[in-house]
Amino acid sequence: MKTSAQADTTLVGYWNKRTETMPRAELAEWQWEKLRRAMAHARRYSPFWRERVPDGINSLEEYFDRVPLVYKKDILAAQQADPPYGTIPSTDPRLGIRHHQTSGTSGNPPVRTFDTARDWALSTDTFCTSLYAMGVRPGYRGMVAFGYGLFMGFWGMHYGLERLGCTVIPVGGLDSRTRVRLLVDYQIEVLGSTPSYAMRLIETAKEMGVDLARDANVKVVMAGGEPRPESTTRAIADAFDARVLNAAGTTELGAMFMFECPVLANCCHIIEPTVIEEVLDPKTRQPVGYGQPGVRVSTSLGREGMQLFRHWTDDLVIRRPWHDCPCGRTWDYYDGGIIGRTDDMHKIRGVSITPVMVEDVLRGFPEVSEFQAVLRRIRGLDTVVLRVEPKGGDQDTLRERISTAMKREIGLRPDVELAEVGSLPRSEWKTTRFYDERSS
Amino acid sequence: MNGQAELTAAQELRLREVYAILHELAADCEVPAVVAAARAALAEVHTALAGQAIEFEFYSQRWLEAGT
Repeated sequence: MKTSAQADTTLVGYWNKRTETMPRAELAEWQWEKLRRAMAHARRYSPFWRERVPDGINSLEEYFDRVPLVYKKDILAAQQADPPYGTIPSTDPRLGIRHHQTSGTSGNPPVRTFDTARDWALSTDTFCTSLYAMGVRPGYRGMVAFGYGLFMGFWGMHYGLERLGCTVIPVGGLDSRTRVRLLVDYQIEVLGSTPSYAMRLIETAKEMGVDLARDANVKVVMAGGEPRPESTTRAIADAFDARVLNAAGTTELGAMFMFECPVLANCCHIIEPTVIEEVLDPKTRQPVGYGQPGVRVSTSLGREGMQLFRHWTDDLVIRRPWHDCPCGRTWDYYDGGIIGRTDDMHKIRGVSITPVMVEDVLRGFPEVSEFQAVLRRIRGLDTVVLRVEPKGGDQDTLRERISTAMKREIGLRPDVELAEVGSLPRSEWKTTRFYDERSS
Repeated sequence: MNGQAELTAAQELRLREVYAILHELAADCEVPAVVAAARAALAEVHTALAGQAIEFEFYSQRWLEAGT
Protein backbone atom coordinates (compact mmCIF):
# COMPACT_ATOMS: atom_id res chain seq x y z
CA MET A 1 0.00 0.00 0.00
CA LYS A 2 1.44 3.37 -0.98
CA THR A 3 -0.74 5.67 1.11
CA SER A 4 0.77 8.08 3.58
CA ALA A 5 4.40 7.10 3.22
CA GLN A 6 6.35 7.45 6.45
CA ALA A 7 8.99 10.18 6.19
CA ASP A 8 10.23 9.12 2.76
CA THR A 9 12.10 12.27 1.74
CA THR A 10 12.91 10.83 -1.70
CA LEU A 11 9.36 11.94 -2.54
CA VAL A 12 10.18 15.62 -2.00
CA GLY A 13 9.83 17.97 -4.96
CA TYR A 14 9.05 21.68 -4.98
CA TRP A 15 7.02 23.54 -7.58
CA ASN A 16 8.50 26.83 -6.28
CA LYS A 17 11.37 26.04 -3.97
CA ARG A 18 11.83 29.74 -3.24
CA THR A 19 8.48 30.27 -1.51
CA GLU A 20 8.03 26.71 -0.29
CA THR A 21 11.21 26.75 1.78
CA MET A 22 11.31 30.45 2.70
CA PRO A 23 12.39 31.17 6.29
CA ARG A 24 9.31 31.87 8.41
CA ALA A 25 10.19 35.51 9.08
CA GLU A 26 10.62 36.16 5.37
CA LEU A 27 7.37 34.34 4.61
CA ALA A 28 5.55 36.52 7.14
CA GLU A 29 6.96 39.64 5.48
CA TRP A 30 5.86 38.41 2.04
CA GLN A 31 2.37 37.64 3.38
CA TRP A 32 2.13 41.06 4.99
CA GLU A 33 3.22 42.79 1.77
CA LYS A 34 0.56 40.92 -0.19
CA LEU A 35 -2.11 41.58 2.44
CA ARG A 36 -1.25 45.28 2.52
CA ARG A 37 -1.71 45.50 -1.26
CA ALA A 38 -4.88 43.36 -1.12
CA MET A 39 -6.46 45.67 1.47
CA ALA A 40 -5.59 48.78 -0.53
CA HIS A 41 -7.09 47.23 -3.68
CA ALA A 42 -10.25 46.17 -1.83
CA ARG A 43 -10.73 49.58 -0.24
CA ARG A 44 -10.37 51.28 -3.58
CA TYR A 45 -12.73 49.13 -5.63
CA SER A 46 -15.09 47.07 -3.45
CA PRO A 47 -17.95 48.79 -1.55
CA PHE A 48 -18.53 45.60 0.47
CA TRP A 49 -14.95 45.34 1.67
CA ARG A 50 -14.49 49.07 2.12
CA GLU A 51 -17.08 48.89 4.90
CA ARG A 52 -15.25 46.02 6.58
CA VAL A 53 -11.57 46.71 6.05
CA PRO A 54 -10.63 49.98 7.75
CA ASP A 55 -7.91 52.28 6.51
CA GLY A 56 -4.56 52.57 8.27
CA ILE A 57 -3.93 48.97 9.30
CA ASN A 58 -0.22 48.68 9.92
CA SER A 59 0.38 45.14 11.08
CA LEU A 60 -1.06 41.65 10.94
CA GLU A 61 -2.02 41.87 14.62
CA GLU A 62 -3.94 45.06 13.89
CA TYR A 63 -5.59 43.34 10.93
CA PHE A 64 -6.84 40.49 13.14
CA ASP A 65 -7.98 43.02 15.71
CA ARG A 66 -9.82 45.49 13.47
CA VAL A 67 -11.25 43.49 10.56
CA PRO A 68 -14.48 41.68 11.50
CA LEU A 69 -15.10 38.04 10.65
CA VAL A 70 -17.18 37.54 7.54
CA TYR A 71 -19.73 34.72 7.48
CA LYS A 72 -21.34 32.89 4.60
CA LYS A 73 -24.62 34.63 5.39
CA ASP A 74 -22.91 38.02 4.90
CA ILE A 75 -21.62 37.00 1.47
CA LEU A 76 -25.00 35.55 0.48
CA ALA A 77 -26.86 38.64 1.67
CA ALA A 78 -24.55 40.92 -0.33
CA GLN A 79 -25.00 38.80 -3.44
CA GLN A 80 -28.77 38.53 -3.02
CA ALA A 81 -29.07 42.29 -2.73
CA ASP A 82 -27.49 42.83 -6.14
CA PRO A 83 -27.11 39.55 -8.08
CA PRO A 84 -25.03 37.88 -9.19
CA TYR A 85 -21.99 39.09 -7.23
CA GLY A 86 -23.32 41.97 -5.14
CA THR A 87 -21.00 44.77 -4.09
CA ILE A 88 -18.19 42.34 -3.34
CA PRO A 89 -16.08 42.41 -6.54
CA SER A 90 -12.88 44.43 -6.52
CA THR A 91 -12.60 44.38 -10.29
CA ASP A 92 -15.31 44.82 -12.87
CA PRO A 93 -16.95 41.38 -13.43
CA ARG A 94 -16.59 42.00 -17.18
CA LEU A 95 -12.93 41.10 -16.63
CA GLY A 96 -13.98 37.64 -15.50
CA ILE A 97 -13.08 34.78 -17.81
CA ARG A 98 -15.11 32.19 -15.90
CA HIS A 99 -17.97 31.93 -13.43
CA HIS A 100 -18.48 29.34 -10.71
CA GLN A 101 -20.94 28.80 -7.89
CA THR A 102 -21.63 26.45 -5.04
CA SER A 103 -24.41 23.87 -5.18
CA GLY A 104 -26.87 25.84 -3.07
CA THR A 105 -27.94 22.71 -1.21
CA SER A 106 -29.44 22.86 2.30
CA GLY A 107 -31.88 25.49 1.12
CA ASN A 108 -29.28 28.25 0.78
CA PRO A 109 -28.79 30.21 -2.43
CA PRO A 110 -25.41 29.53 -4.08
CA VAL A 111 -22.25 31.53 -3.45
CA ARG A 112 -21.24 32.94 -6.83
CA THR A 113 -17.78 33.87 -7.94
CA PHE A 114 -15.71 34.77 -10.98
CA ASP A 115 -12.04 34.78 -11.91
CA THR A 116 -10.05 37.18 -14.03
CA ALA A 117 -7.37 35.61 -16.23
CA ARG A 118 -4.80 36.66 -13.64
CA ASP A 119 -6.78 35.10 -10.80
CA TRP A 120 -7.40 31.87 -12.65
CA ALA A 121 -3.68 31.48 -13.39
CA LEU A 122 -2.91 31.90 -9.68
CA SER A 123 -5.65 29.46 -8.72
CA THR A 124 -4.38 26.90 -11.18
CA ASP A 125 -0.91 27.31 -9.76
CA THR A 126 -2.11 26.26 -6.30
CA PHE A 127 -3.16 22.96 -7.90
CA CYS A 128 0.26 22.68 -9.55
CA THR A 129 1.91 23.24 -6.16
CA SER A 130 -0.22 20.47 -4.68
CA LEU A 131 0.11 18.00 -7.54
CA TYR A 132 3.86 18.46 -7.88
CA ALA A 133 4.28 17.93 -4.14
CA MET A 134 2.25 14.73 -4.42
CA GLY A 135 4.67 13.38 -7.00
CA VAL A 136 2.83 14.18 -10.22
CA ARG A 137 5.29 15.01 -13.00
CA PRO A 138 5.19 16.26 -16.61
CA GLY A 139 4.26 13.47 -18.99
CA TYR A 140 1.77 11.79 -16.67
CA ARG A 141 -1.71 11.08 -17.91
CA GLY A 142 -4.51 12.38 -15.70
CA MET A 143 -8.23 11.90 -15.21
CA VAL A 144 -10.34 14.31 -13.21
CA ALA A 145 -13.57 12.47 -12.47
CA PHE A 146 -16.18 15.17 -12.01
CA GLY A 147 -19.06 16.71 -13.89
CA TYR A 148 -17.29 19.71 -15.46
CA GLY A 149 -20.17 21.94 -14.41
CA LEU A 150 -20.76 25.00 -12.25
CA PHE A 151 -18.79 23.74 -9.25
CA MET A 152 -15.30 25.16 -9.10
CA GLY A 153 -14.17 21.89 -7.47
CA PHE A 154 -11.86 20.03 -9.76
CA TRP A 155 -11.69 22.49 -12.65
CA GLY A 156 -8.42 23.75 -11.19
CA MET A 157 -7.01 20.25 -11.23
CA HIS A 158 -7.79 19.89 -14.94
CA TYR A 159 -6.01 23.16 -15.71
CA GLY A 160 -3.26 22.43 -13.19
CA LEU A 161 -2.43 19.13 -14.88
CA GLU A 162 -2.28 20.89 -18.24
CA ARG A 163 -0.03 23.61 -16.84
CA LEU A 164 2.21 20.97 -15.32
CA GLY A 165 2.66 19.30 -18.69
CA CYS A 166 0.42 16.29 -18.16
CA THR A 167 -2.08 14.86 -20.64
CA VAL A 168 -5.64 15.13 -19.39
CA ILE A 169 -8.28 12.63 -20.50
CA PRO A 170 -11.52 14.61 -20.02
CA VAL A 171 -14.33 12.46 -18.64
CA GLY A 172 -17.12 14.90 -17.79
CA GLY A 173 -20.49 13.37 -18.67
CA LEU A 174 -19.11 9.84 -18.92
CA ASP A 175 -20.46 7.07 -16.72
CA SER A 176 -18.40 5.16 -14.15
CA ARG A 177 -17.93 2.07 -16.32
CA THR A 178 -16.46 4.13 -19.16
CA ARG A 179 -14.20 5.93 -16.72
CA VAL A 180 -12.91 2.62 -15.35
CA ARG A 181 -12.27 1.42 -18.90
CA LEU A 182 -10.35 4.62 -19.72
CA LEU A 183 -8.29 4.32 -16.54
CA VAL A 184 -7.14 0.91 -17.72
CA ASP A 185 -6.86 1.57 -21.46
CA TYR A 186 -4.81 4.75 -21.10
CA GLN A 187 -2.87 3.56 -18.05
CA ILE A 188 -3.69 6.84 -16.32
CA GLU A 189 -1.25 7.76 -13.55
CA VAL A 190 -3.11 10.45 -11.63
CA LEU A 191 -6.78 10.50 -10.66
CA GLY A 192 -8.73 13.32 -9.05
CA SER A 193 -12.09 12.73 -7.37
CA THR A 194 -13.94 12.93 -4.09
CA PRO A 195 -13.28 9.99 -1.77
CA SER A 196 -16.94 8.98 -2.21
CA TYR A 197 -16.59 8.83 -5.96
CA ALA A 198 -13.29 6.95 -5.78
CA MET A 199 -15.18 4.31 -3.76
CA ARG A 200 -17.84 4.28 -6.47
CA LEU A 201 -15.19 3.65 -9.16
CA ILE A 202 -13.81 0.77 -7.07
CA GLU A 203 -17.26 -0.74 -6.76
CA THR A 204 -17.88 -0.36 -10.50
CA ALA A 205 -14.52 -1.90 -11.36
CA LYS A 206 -15.35 -4.93 -9.23
CA GLU A 207 -18.69 -5.31 -11.04
CA MET A 208 -16.76 -5.23 -14.32
CA GLY A 209 -14.23 -7.79 -13.14
CA VAL A 210 -11.44 -5.20 -13.24
CA ASP A 211 -8.72 -5.31 -10.61
CA LEU A 212 -7.60 -1.68 -10.47
CA ALA A 213 -4.41 -2.48 -8.56
CA ARG A 214 -3.39 -5.00 -11.22
CA ASP A 215 -4.95 -3.68 -14.43
CA ALA A 216 -4.70 0.10 -14.00
CA ASN A 217 -1.60 2.22 -13.39
CA VAL A 218 -2.78 4.93 -10.99
CA LYS A 219 0.11 6.20 -8.88
CA VAL A 220 -1.54 9.18 -7.19
CA VAL A 221 -5.17 9.78 -6.22
CA MET A 222 -5.90 13.37 -5.24
CA ALA A 223 -9.00 12.80 -3.15
CA GLY A 224 -10.57 16.03 -1.96
CA GLY A 225 -13.82 17.85 -1.50
CA GLU A 226 -15.10 16.13 1.64
CA PRO A 227 -13.79 14.87 4.99
CA ARG A 228 -13.18 11.12 5.20
CA PRO A 229 -11.88 8.67 7.78
CA GLU A 230 -8.52 6.96 7.51
CA SER A 231 -10.31 3.68 6.76
CA THR A 232 -11.71 5.13 3.52
CA THR A 233 -8.29 6.46 2.49
CA ARG A 234 -6.85 3.00 3.13
CA ALA A 235 -9.60 1.28 1.14
CA ILE A 236 -8.93 3.53 -1.88
CA ALA A 237 -5.16 3.11 -1.60
CA ASP A 238 -5.47 -0.68 -1.42
CA ALA A 239 -7.87 -0.91 -4.34
CA PHE A 240 -5.71 1.22 -6.65
CA ASP A 241 -2.33 0.37 -5.10
CA ALA A 242 -1.71 4.12 -5.22
CA ARG A 243 -0.85 6.97 -2.89
CA VAL A 244 -4.08 8.66 -1.80
CA LEU A 245 -3.55 12.25 -0.78
CA ASN A 246 -5.89 14.88 0.54
CA ALA A 247 -6.34 18.41 -0.78
CA ALA A 248 -8.87 21.19 -0.36
CA GLY A 249 -9.91 24.58 -1.63
CA THR A 250 -13.08 26.64 -1.47
CA THR A 251 -15.23 28.59 -3.89
CA GLU A 252 -15.02 31.63 -1.63
CA LEU A 253 -11.22 31.54 -1.69
CA GLY A 254 -11.04 30.57 -5.34
CA ALA A 255 -7.95 28.43 -4.82
CA MET A 256 -6.48 25.47 -3.01
CA PHE A 257 -5.38 26.25 0.53
CA MET A 258 -3.86 22.90 1.55
CA PHE A 259 -2.51 19.62 0.21
CA GLU A 260 -1.31 16.44 1.88
CA CYS A 261 2.44 15.90 1.90
CA PRO A 262 3.54 12.41 0.82
CA VAL A 263 6.40 12.60 3.32
CA LEU A 264 4.29 12.67 6.51
CA ALA A 265 0.95 10.94 6.92
CA ASN A 266 -2.03 13.30 7.33
CA CYS A 267 0.16 16.40 7.07
CA CYS A 268 -1.79 18.88 4.97
CA HIS A 269 0.49 21.85 4.31
CA ILE A 270 -1.19 25.25 4.14
CA ILE A 271 -0.23 27.10 0.95
CA GLU A 272 0.77 30.09 3.04
CA PRO A 273 1.92 32.51 0.34
CA THR A 274 -1.65 32.36 -1.01
CA VAL A 275 -3.64 32.45 2.19
CA ILE A 276 -3.47 33.61 5.80
CA GLU A 277 -5.13 31.01 7.99
CA GLU A 278 -6.23 31.64 11.57
CA VAL A 279 -7.61 28.93 13.85
CA LEU A 280 -10.16 30.25 16.34
CA ASP A 281 -12.11 28.76 19.20
CA PRO A 282 -15.67 28.13 17.93
CA LYS A 283 -17.22 29.74 20.99
CA THR A 284 -14.88 32.53 22.09
CA ARG A 285 -13.60 33.39 18.57
CA GLN A 286 -10.13 33.71 20.11
CA PRO A 287 -7.03 32.08 18.56
CA VAL A 288 -6.13 28.58 19.70
CA GLY A 289 -2.57 27.27 19.81
CA TYR A 290 -0.85 24.58 17.79
CA GLY A 291 -2.42 21.17 18.37
CA GLN A 292 -5.76 22.58 19.54
CA PRO A 293 -8.90 22.07 17.46
CA GLY A 294 -10.59 25.18 16.17
CA VAL A 295 -12.35 26.76 13.22
CA ARG A 296 -10.39 27.79 10.16
CA VAL A 297 -10.63 31.49 9.26
CA SER A 298 -9.31 32.31 5.83
CA THR A 299 -7.90 35.42 4.15
CA SER A 300 -7.12 35.35 0.44
CA LEU A 301 -3.83 36.90 -0.59
CA GLY A 302 -4.17 36.18 -4.27
CA ARG A 303 -7.31 37.29 -6.02
CA GLU A 304 -8.01 40.71 -7.48
CA GLY A 305 -11.67 40.06 -8.46
CA MET A 306 -13.41 38.29 -5.57
CA GLN A 307 -11.33 39.00 -2.51
CA LEU A 308 -11.81 37.46 0.92
CA PHE A 309 -10.88 38.81 4.33
CA ARG A 310 -11.26 36.78 7.52
CA HIS A 311 -13.82 34.26 6.30
CA TRP A 312 -15.29 32.04 9.02
CA THR A 313 -15.39 28.66 7.24
CA ASP A 314 -16.96 26.35 9.86
CA ASP A 315 -14.16 23.86 9.00
CA LEU A 316 -12.64 22.22 12.08
CA VAL A 317 -8.86 21.86 11.91
CA ILE A 318 -5.82 21.21 14.08
CA ARG A 319 -2.79 23.27 13.08
CA ARG A 320 0.76 22.09 13.68
CA PRO A 321 4.13 23.75 13.05
CA TRP A 322 5.97 23.29 9.77
CA HIS A 323 9.06 21.71 11.33
CA ASP A 324 7.13 18.61 12.42
CA CYS A 325 7.20 17.55 8.76
CA PRO A 326 10.65 16.65 7.36
CA CYS A 327 9.84 17.63 3.75
CA GLY A 328 11.65 20.97 4.05
CA ARG A 329 8.64 23.19 3.44
CA THR A 330 8.28 26.02 5.90
CA TRP A 331 4.50 25.96 5.66
CA ASP A 332 2.50 24.97 8.73
CA TYR A 333 0.01 22.17 8.29
CA TYR A 334 -3.39 20.89 9.27
CA ASP A 335 -3.16 17.51 10.93
CA GLY A 336 -5.62 15.29 9.07
CA GLY A 337 -6.87 18.17 6.91
CA ILE A 338 -10.41 19.23 7.67
CA ILE A 339 -11.45 16.95 10.49
CA GLY A 340 -15.10 17.99 10.43
CA ARG A 341 -17.41 20.95 10.38
CA THR A 342 -19.03 22.74 13.25
CA ASP A 343 -22.40 22.09 11.63
CA ASP A 344 -21.56 18.35 11.17
CA MET A 345 -21.52 17.55 14.87
CA HIS A 346 -24.80 16.06 16.10
CA LYS A 347 -25.74 15.14 19.65
CA ILE A 348 -27.75 12.00 20.19
CA ARG A 349 -28.64 11.17 23.77
CA GLY A 350 -25.57 13.06 24.95
CA VAL A 351 -23.21 11.36 22.49
CA SER A 352 -21.48 13.49 19.82
CA ILE A 353 -21.60 11.89 16.39
CA THR A 354 -20.28 13.00 12.98
CA PRO A 355 -20.64 11.53 9.47
CA VAL A 356 -16.94 10.64 9.43
CA MET A 357 -17.29 8.61 12.67
CA VAL A 358 -20.13 6.57 11.18
CA GLU A 359 -18.27 6.08 7.90
CA ASP A 360 -15.20 4.89 9.78
CA VAL A 361 -17.20 2.12 11.50
CA LEU A 362 -18.98 1.03 8.32
CA ARG A 363 -15.76 0.83 6.26
CA GLY A 364 -14.91 -2.08 8.57
CA PHE A 365 -17.69 -4.03 6.83
CA PRO A 366 -16.57 -4.94 3.32
CA GLU A 367 -20.05 -6.30 2.64
CA VAL A 368 -21.49 -2.76 2.89
CA SER A 369 -21.28 -0.78 -0.35
CA GLU A 370 -23.17 2.40 0.60
CA PHE A 371 -25.04 3.81 3.56
CA GLN A 372 -27.17 6.63 4.90
CA ALA A 373 -27.61 7.79 8.47
CA VAL A 374 -30.84 9.45 9.53
CA LEU A 375 -31.26 11.06 12.92
CA ARG A 376 -34.90 10.62 13.87
CA ARG A 377 -37.06 11.05 16.95
CA ILE A 378 -38.88 7.77 17.53
CA ARG A 379 -41.45 7.73 20.34
CA GLY A 380 -39.74 10.76 21.84
CA LEU A 381 -36.29 9.19 21.77
CA ASP A 382 -33.48 10.47 19.52
CA THR A 383 -32.37 7.54 17.37
CA VAL A 384 -29.83 6.89 14.63
CA VAL A 385 -31.36 4.93 11.76
CA LEU A 386 -28.68 3.43 9.53
CA ARG A 387 -29.71 2.34 6.06
CA VAL A 388 -27.01 0.11 4.61
CA GLU A 389 -26.75 -1.35 1.16
CA PRO A 390 -25.23 -4.86 1.29
CA LYS A 391 -23.20 -6.43 -1.51
CA GLY A 392 -23.11 -10.09 -0.57
CA GLY A 393 -21.58 -11.82 2.42
CA ASP A 394 -23.46 -12.93 5.48
CA GLN A 395 -26.43 -10.61 5.44
CA ASP A 396 -28.36 -12.52 8.11
CA THR A 397 -26.18 -11.23 10.90
CA LEU A 398 -25.09 -7.98 9.24
CA ARG A 399 -27.60 -5.74 11.03
CA GLU A 400 -26.66 -7.06 14.44
CA ARG A 401 -22.91 -6.89 13.75
CA ILE A 402 -23.14 -3.27 12.59
CA SER A 403 -25.28 -2.32 15.55
CA THR A 404 -22.78 -3.91 17.96
CA ALA A 405 -19.80 -2.23 16.27
CA MET A 406 -21.49 1.18 16.41
CA LYS A 407 -22.23 0.71 20.11
CA ARG A 408 -18.64 -0.34 20.76
CA GLU A 409 -16.93 2.39 18.66
CA ILE A 410 -19.24 5.38 19.07
CA GLY A 411 -21.36 4.53 22.08
CA LEU A 412 -24.72 4.44 20.32
CA ARG A 413 -26.80 1.48 19.18
CA PRO A 414 -28.56 2.41 15.92
CA ASP A 415 -31.58 0.90 14.21
CA VAL A 416 -30.08 -0.80 11.13
CA GLU A 417 -32.15 -1.28 7.97
CA LEU A 418 -31.02 -3.12 4.85
CA ALA A 419 -31.62 -1.18 1.62
CA GLU A 420 -32.09 -2.57 -1.88
CA VAL A 421 -28.87 -2.96 -3.89
CA GLY A 422 -28.27 0.23 -5.89
CA SER A 423 -31.04 2.17 -4.14
CA LEU A 424 -28.91 4.62 -2.14
CA PRO A 425 -27.65 7.68 -4.01
CA ARG A 426 -24.05 7.98 -5.23
CA SER A 427 -22.49 11.21 -6.33
CA GLU A 428 -19.30 12.28 -8.02
CA TRP A 429 -19.28 15.41 -5.89
CA LYS A 430 -19.98 15.64 -2.17
CA THR A 431 -22.13 12.70 -1.16
CA THR A 432 -24.74 13.49 1.48
CA ARG A 433 -25.09 10.55 3.81
CA PHE A 434 -26.34 12.26 6.94
CA TYR A 435 -29.83 13.60 7.51
CA ASP A 436 -31.16 15.12 10.71
CA GLU A 437 -34.96 14.87 10.63
CA ARG A 438 -35.46 15.76 14.28
CA SER A 439 -36.31 19.40 13.65
CA SER A 440 -38.41 18.84 10.51
CA MET B 1 13.64 19.79 -13.93
CA ASN B 2 14.17 18.08 -10.58
CA GLY B 3 11.91 19.94 -8.18
CA GLN B 4 14.93 21.33 -6.30
CA ALA B 5 16.03 24.12 -8.63
CA GLU B 6 16.16 27.84 -7.88
CA LEU B 7 16.07 30.82 -10.21
CA THR B 8 19.43 32.38 -11.12
CA ALA B 9 19.88 36.16 -11.05
CA ALA B 10 20.09 36.24 -14.85
CA GLN B 11 16.86 34.25 -15.19
CA GLU B 12 15.11 36.53 -12.72
CA LEU B 13 16.15 39.56 -14.77
CA ARG B 14 14.80 37.99 -17.98
CA LEU B 15 11.54 37.15 -16.26
CA ARG B 16 11.13 40.74 -15.08
CA GLU B 17 11.88 42.02 -18.60
CA VAL B 18 9.33 39.67 -20.18
CA TYR B 19 6.75 40.77 -17.64
CA ALA B 20 7.31 44.46 -18.40
CA ILE B 21 7.08 43.86 -22.15
CA LEU B 22 3.87 41.84 -21.80
CA HIS B 23 2.35 44.61 -19.67
CA GLU B 24 3.03 47.13 -22.43
CA LEU B 25 1.48 44.91 -25.10
CA ALA B 26 -1.49 44.02 -22.88
CA ALA B 27 -2.25 47.70 -22.26
CA ASP B 28 -1.40 49.36 -25.58
CA CYS B 29 -1.73 46.90 -28.43
CA GLU B 30 -4.92 47.14 -30.50
CA VAL B 31 -4.62 43.89 -32.43
CA PRO B 32 -7.22 41.63 -30.79
CA ALA B 33 -5.24 38.43 -31.25
CA VAL B 34 -2.05 39.94 -29.90
CA VAL B 35 -3.61 41.65 -26.90
CA ALA B 36 -5.43 38.41 -26.00
CA ALA B 37 -2.18 36.48 -26.17
CA ALA B 38 -0.32 39.13 -24.18
CA ARG B 39 -2.94 39.18 -21.42
CA ALA B 40 -3.03 35.39 -21.18
CA ALA B 41 0.77 35.22 -21.09
CA LEU B 42 0.91 38.08 -18.58
CA ALA B 43 -1.29 36.10 -16.19
CA GLU B 44 1.04 33.12 -16.45
CA VAL B 45 4.23 35.14 -16.00
CA HIS B 46 2.70 37.08 -13.10
CA THR B 47 2.00 33.73 -11.45
CA ALA B 48 5.62 32.67 -11.94
CA LEU B 49 6.86 35.96 -10.43
CA ALA B 50 4.51 35.61 -7.45
CA GLY B 51 5.65 32.02 -6.94
CA GLN B 52 9.20 33.27 -6.70
CA ALA B 53 8.20 36.14 -4.37
CA ILE B 54 9.50 38.66 -6.89
CA GLU B 55 6.38 40.59 -7.88
CA PHE B 56 2.71 40.69 -7.04
CA GLU B 57 0.14 43.20 -8.20
CA PHE B 58 -3.51 43.72 -9.00
CA TYR B 59 -3.47 45.00 -12.55
CA SER B 60 -6.54 44.01 -14.64
CA GLN B 61 -8.82 46.86 -13.54
CA ARG B 62 -6.34 49.33 -15.00
CA TRP B 63 -7.23 48.18 -18.51
CA LEU B 64 -10.86 49.17 -18.06
CA GLU B 65 -9.91 52.48 -16.49
CA ALA B 66 -7.61 53.19 -19.41
CA GLY B 67 -10.40 52.20 -21.80
CA THR B 68 -8.38 49.41 -23.40
